[in-house]
Amino acid sequence: MTLPTAAPAKSAYPEKIWLYLHFPLLPLDALLDDLKDQQQHQNPVAVICQEKNILRVLCCNNSAKQSGVEPLLSLSTALALCPDLLTMRQQLEREKNAMQQLALIAYSFSPGVIIAEQGLWLELSGCEKLFHNYTQLLQKLHQALLLQSTNVDMGIAGSADAARLLCRPGFRCELPSSAELEQQLKLTPLSQLNTSRRRQQSFYQLGLTCLGDLLALARTDLASRFGTGIVEQLQLLLGEKPCQMARFEPPATFHDLLQNPQGIFSKQGLLFPMKTLLQRLSLYLQARQCYCRALEWRFEPLLGEPSSMHVTLSGSQNSWSNLLDLSRLQLERIDLPASIETIILSSDNFVDGIPSGVDLFGTALLGTALAEEENSEAAQLMDSLRARLGPDALWQPALGRNYFPEEAGTVVVPGERQQLSTAHKGLQPLWLLPKPIAIQIRHQQLFWRQPLHILSGPQRLCDNWWQNNQQRDYYLACDNQGSRYWLFKQSDTGRWFVHGLFS
Amino acid sequence: MPNTEIITKLLARHDTWRGQSQKPIQRSVSSGQDEIDRLLKGGWPAASLTELLVQRPGIGELSLLLPTIKYYCQNNHLSVWLDPPYQPHAPALATAGIALQKVLIVQSKTHREWLWVAEQCIRNNALLLAWSERKAPSYTDLRKLQLAAADSGHVAFLFASSKQLPASSPAALRLEIDSVDEKNLRLCVRKLRSVAPGEQLLIPRGKNLGPQTSLAKLPVNNIHPQMPASTDIPRIKTAEQRLNA
Repeated sequence: MTLPTAAPAKSAYPEKIWLYLHFPLLPLDALLDDLKDQQQHQNPVAVICQEKNILRVLCCNNSAKQSGVEPLLSLSTALALCPDLLTMRQQLEREKNAMQQLALIAYSFSPGVIIAEQGLWLELSGCEKLFHNYTQLLQKLHQALLLQSTNVDMGIAGSADAARLLCRPGFRCELPSSAELEQQLKLTPLSQLNTSRRRQQSFYQLGLTCLGDLLALARTDLASRFGTGIVEQLQLLLGEKPCQMARFEPPATFHDLLQNPQGIFSKQGLLFPMKTLLQRLSLYLQARQCYCRALEWRFEPLLGEPSSMHVTLSGSQNSWSNLLDLSRLQLERIDLPASIETIILSSDNFVDGIPSGVDLFGTALLGTALAEEENSEAAQLMDSLRARLGPDALWQPALGRNYFPEEAGTVVVPGERQQLSTAHKGLQPLWLLPKPIAIQIRHQQLFWRQPLHILSGPQRLCDNWWQNNQQRDYYLACDNQGSRYWLFKQSDTGRWFVHGLFS
Repeated sequence: MPNTEIITKLLARHDTWRGQSQKPIQRSVSSGQDEIDRLLKGGWPAASLTELLVQRPGIGELSLLLPTIKYYCQNNHLSVWLDPPYQPHAPALATAGIALQKVLIVQSKTHREWLWVAEQCIRNNALLLAWSERKAPSYTDLRKLQLAAADSGHVAFLFASSKQLPASSPAALRLEIDSVDEKNLRLCVRKLRSVAPGEQLLIPRGKNLGPQTSLAKLPVNNIHPQMPASTDIPRIKTAEQRLNA
């Protein structure tokens, strides 16, 4: 085959390398969770869809293919060929969900991901350095994809359209050479080109059978004969024009669910689907480079009230195993419906990942790294305590804005940082009673449980005169056995109260 | 010729008893007070549980730990107060130099939760101060905590009533605290490796009592033990009298 003069020979990888992944069994993969056990995966299974009142097979697994079932057969024919064929209706919503999952996986390999109808485009150029070479990249990608999809076809070329044209069954981890690629592209029959039937026919009448024949013609001639549309198509195909399709971006919130038509009856049984959901969340967080602050679980039965559970996180950990541990701790505390059919995990509270301290030469600063590690350890401990005991079991002491003892020290929910520093003079007790307790005076002797006598004081506190007109004289008192108390005398009423304990 | 290598190895073991030697033989965390460090041969034993058996709460047992808490918080460790009997007063902690963000108060609901929290805290490198008001922990519970502390290498404190003194305990240090009089606190070592049981220390408490006024003149202090009863009763009528007194 001679090279055309009008279209000069170009390298098959002009600048970019595009990978097209096709998932022929996507409708089936999306529904595989519904199958009860491993054995059913081996049995013939087919996904059917309705097309003009006829139910047709959309795709089927290998064991169904062995008995002669193939796509586009009508359901009755398929059942005649294979009587024990298990059929499932196509569910577009779940297919879309599965596609999003696959896109998320692909997104962790390349920033340029485009979702096609039953496939994905990935732009690989620029990702080579991260994975050392393309072979390793493709191997890792294949491994990751196999977790979600049973069957992947692929094609690699210099442009998105060409990659799709060259898509062949099976996954190969080798990058084809550019000469090989050019040859393949030229030999592609024109019938695979996405054009109208009339145009296909005119190609045929002109004696053009493969793409190479079309490329041999001058572009101007093609434009005058077939319109500029075909030239644009060729430009896209050869990578002369950049791909304009919208790139995939992870959604702003996370929402995912797993369904189990048989129902889950025990908390133990919930753990596996929860793990799957958390693995997906972890992938999502990785793709968005952020940390999660709160999770919401919803457990829905077929009938009756669903129950939900909120997991609060300090936002310093992303690994699914940590999240699963926390969720499990919290799960022990709640009551669940008898049988759970749908498990929903959603989260919309994210914080951006904080870059760790790096010095001029790119090495992490030792001090900050250590401190961060300890901080994250403390945060992890707080998270697990909160998950097990509930949010109202954890408190932190904090300084208040006032000198009055009731307001000088408070307890707050951990994490609410209060950067107040009020200088408190004088002796302060370590324990404060929630409310001052009035004490008696017996025979001119203070008495609370035991006779008390005063060791030092007074320290006069007179604060908030605009709110409450209180003036208190604080004393340090002691009983016969050595316990020390913080007493005060209200100036206006002359009554004595015990307000704290020195310990 | 004696094999010195074996002897040095033996001496390096922390469980070799070395008579009355003053050398600290175990890793320890300084208590912040020299007298106590001397009594405990170096300070609070690290990697073990310390039981503080208090005659009655509120006699100054918590103040003994404030320097240790401060030390831990400065080193970025969390200090967890499990089931404290009252609400800690933040200004007092701030005055002692403790970073309040590093203090966590946890209230458990059941004994099982209490034990779980205590173990989690020790294993996650936090400083644990636990009070067991609800139910005295059993020997197995204490052993669990002691093992956790041995694994993590940190000190852990458990406040218990001195009524539990007869019960045996796996804690490395059992320290009885009682107040002999209103000014002094008595520490008595009941169990510690290399210290003879029953060794005692008197430490004065609260030397700095703040501004002193003529306490004897207060209207409600009449049977103060140190004061002769006669000086208490007369009430101050004039400024002149106050000065004379």
